[in-house]
Amino acid sequence: MGCSPSKKVVRAKNATKRLRAVVRIQTWYRRYRANLEARRRCTWSIFQSLEYAGEQDQLKLHNFFNNMLDSLVSDGNSPAPLIRAFNVNKRASIYDTQSMRDSGGEMLQNLLEGMEVEPSYKGPHLTFPLTMNQLHKIVQSFRRKLTLHAKYTIQLLLEVRRILKTQGNIRYASTSLSKQVTVCGDIHGKLSDLYTIFHKNGLPSVNNPYIFNGDFVDRGQFSTEVVIVLFSCFVMNPNEVYLNRGNHEDHVMNLRYGFVKELQMKYKQHSRKVIHMFKDVFSWLPLATVVDDQIIVCHGGISDTTNLKTLAKIDRHRYMSTLQPPGECEDISTMDTQDLIEWKQVLDLLWSDPKPIDGCQPNTFRGGGSYFGPDITTSFLQQNKFKLLIRSHECKPEGFEYTHNGQVLTVFSASNYYEMGSNLGAFVRIQGAELECRVVQYMSTHSPTHRKVSFTQRINTVEKSAIQDLKEKILASKHKLLSEFKKCDLDNSGSISSSDWCCALETVLEIELPWRTLKSKIAKCDNNGDVQYETTFDELEVRHRYSGNGPSITETLYRHRENLETIFRLIDTDHSGFISMQEFEDALMLLIKQVDIRINERDIRDIAYSLDINKDGSIDFNEFLEAFRIVDNFGKDHTKRVSRDHSIDSAHVPSIASELDEKE
Amino acid sequence: MAGTEEKDNADSLVADIHKKITEAFDLFDHESNKTVDVREVGTIIRSLGCVPSEAELHDMLHEIEEEEPTGYIRFEKFSIMMTKVLIERRYKPTPDDQILRAFQVLDTEGKGYLTVEELTKYMTEEGEAFNQEELEEMLSAAVNPDKGNIQYKDYVSEMSQEDT
Repeated sequence: MGCSPSKKVVRAKNATKRLRAVVRIQTWYRRYRANLEARRRCTWSIFQSLEYAGEQDQLKLHNFFNNMLDSLVSDGNSPAPLIRAFNVNKRASIYDTQSMRDSGGEMLQNLLEGMEVEPSYKGPHLTFPLTMNQLHKIVQSFRRKLTLHAKYTIQLLLEVRRILKTQGNIRYASTSLSKQVTVCGDIHGKLSDLYTIFHKNGLPSVNNPYIFNGDFVDRGQFSTEVVIVLFSCFVMNPNEVYLNRGNHEDHVMNLRYGFVKELQMKYKQHSRKVIHMFKDVFSWLPLATVVDDQIIVCHGGISDTTNLKTLAKIDRHRYMSTLQPPGECEDISTMDTQDLIEWKQVLDLLWSDPKPIDGCQPNTFRGGGSYFGPDITTSFLQQNKFKLLIRSHECKPEGFEYTHNGQVLTVFSASNYYEMGSNLGAFVRIQGAELECRVVQYMSTHSPTHRKVSFTQRINTVEKSAIQDLKEKILASKHKLLSEFKKCDLDNSGSISSSDWCCALETVLEIELPWRTLKSKIAKCDNNGDVQYETTFDELEVRHRYSGNGPSITETLYRHRENLETIFRLIDTDHSGFISMQEFEDALMLLIKQVDIRINERDIRDIAYSLDINKDGSIDFNEFLEAFRIVDNFGKDHTKRVSRDHSIDSAHVPSIASELDEKE
Repeated sequence: MAGTEEKDNADSLVADIHKKITEAFDLFDHESNKTVDVREVGTIIRSLGCVPSEAELHDMLHEIEEEEPTGYIRFEKFSIMMTKVLIERRYKPTPDDQILRAFQVLDTEGKGYLTVEELTKYMTEEGEAFNQEELEEMLSAAVNPDKGNIQYKDYVSEMSQEDT
């Protein structure tokens, strides 16, 4: 009999209805996802712009001081000791590294003088040669939040130094024995990521060689632990662990980006010697590694002048900081050509970034180095008969990225670099006769019981963090911005057009961001889209706990706090954390010369006076820097807290420990 | 005068729309050369508040693709098309109550929820099918962890709260 026609019609109608409903839901969902994706990219561009703006600031500061070195002698008014403090490469170290004896010498004894280990010390007592068992103890003691005693740290560093001195500027790795090699990128003090890598890929050994491509320290909270673990692995396997220098294995960078501060906190009265040792050891790190004469691995990249023969011959130890001309140079303008050429070679290797456009230009956003295009890569690889360049230096959402038609591979190993959930970390396994590259990705979580977070929640968290960072930067220029806004508010209504608002922000902050898209997340808008500009600041303002100075000066100091920090640490040559009032005033004067801010000498003296809390003529600049607060009208504190990094409690510690047990 | 004021408003509206389009486009312009991968155009359009179906999207792409498809879409063509779309307010999003009703249509037994199997079947076998990734992501947020099914009323209202 079959269906009656009316039944068929009803069925058809229902089918159509259902189809329409399905398509509606699918379209609706796709729209939601697209929104998430756009927000994710927007968030990413906020973090990157802020990061690179900071680096640009750093570059400006250093260009400024490099220029001032020239006028050191000629200008009788310049605070000469201050300027001299800035020439890091030239500063007399606590020992003469060139004539330093490596073992049993007087110098060694002096170094370790006064560093007896107290009976109350609960950490491991290292003896050399280092064994797996001792690495095990080191890892366990880190878990208990103990610091490796300064004596053992320095002994470890001396051993590292001894070995590094025997290695060339460019190291040559072969996979003939192990049949594979693993390359890791930036770690930046993220101990949990290092543990994750060892958990997934095994500890370094004769059969499991590793290349660590720089940037072990700064930014993260466990730089000390990361570098100690890496150096321990290195001294146990000096021929299977390859350590490339990154742009953060550099004293000047460490002053600004946290490593020196961390060392001061963890080593206290012994920190000066430890800091000096790190400074020295970093300058001995090789600059690149070549695998099987086919793959070159270096931290930043190359330029159109990169020449491996030249690189092999330079004395890399002359660069305590790659941001400054090498050791003995008095004056940049009289630097000889050969020195300039060599300096550029080193800078390019450690600071360059690949760009999609052909050609080679100076890298204006970083501290130096170049932007190199696909054509530069092609000719470099051809010239040297390489097939691939592996580099790091740039954070990527997926932890890695191929570019230049697969000729360049960026690998970045610090997951959650900007914020929990912001990006994956990755490492590369190069294996087989064909040297195939296999990328492994991961993201560190706080603990094994961490609840799986949905994609949406992750985007929300990361976005919130980025907007907070951005708002902080906006707040730091509140006065300038308000005056720009008011200029556009001709009828004094409290609202200005969208484009005027976006324009003001871009001009004052000097960062390129999709302001129109971000507008609703930063300020309140009228129904017609105009911006109520005062709401940009959420009724917040910057205050300083100790300084009684006016809001405008406080804001100015806050805005330049990173530069101030760099300057303070440079002046503080004995790394005590204190500088004299005079030095503090000199530092501010220098800053004023460099940037366009109006603080007169009277104000500076007032600031210095108010910060001399103990009235003993010296200023604890760590306290000064940490005393900035963001408060609302009611005095409530809205300062963003640095999220606690629980790396040390990483879930993988037990498994690494057991792997170490197995190897004994 | 009214005439010029209107024109000014119209001009500034267009300028505003143009800037919006530029910002959205730039977010996906990885090589900074005013082109985007054709596979991301859908995302860009949707992030601008337009909700074409896959079929409608296909038509839009056809309009702006190069004669020799290169896999890339250039900004100029995209911008012209998108400006028209935004001014004419085409492809407006479906209001939430209609989405709710769509779920109810699929809930043939009127249970008040959908099982994972049911939703999976609809989304991957009918209409403009989801791929595996899209399905997994939808399920990860839509499935009620206690009940193990999709309480669609809650789901729709959650989504509408999150979507700014």
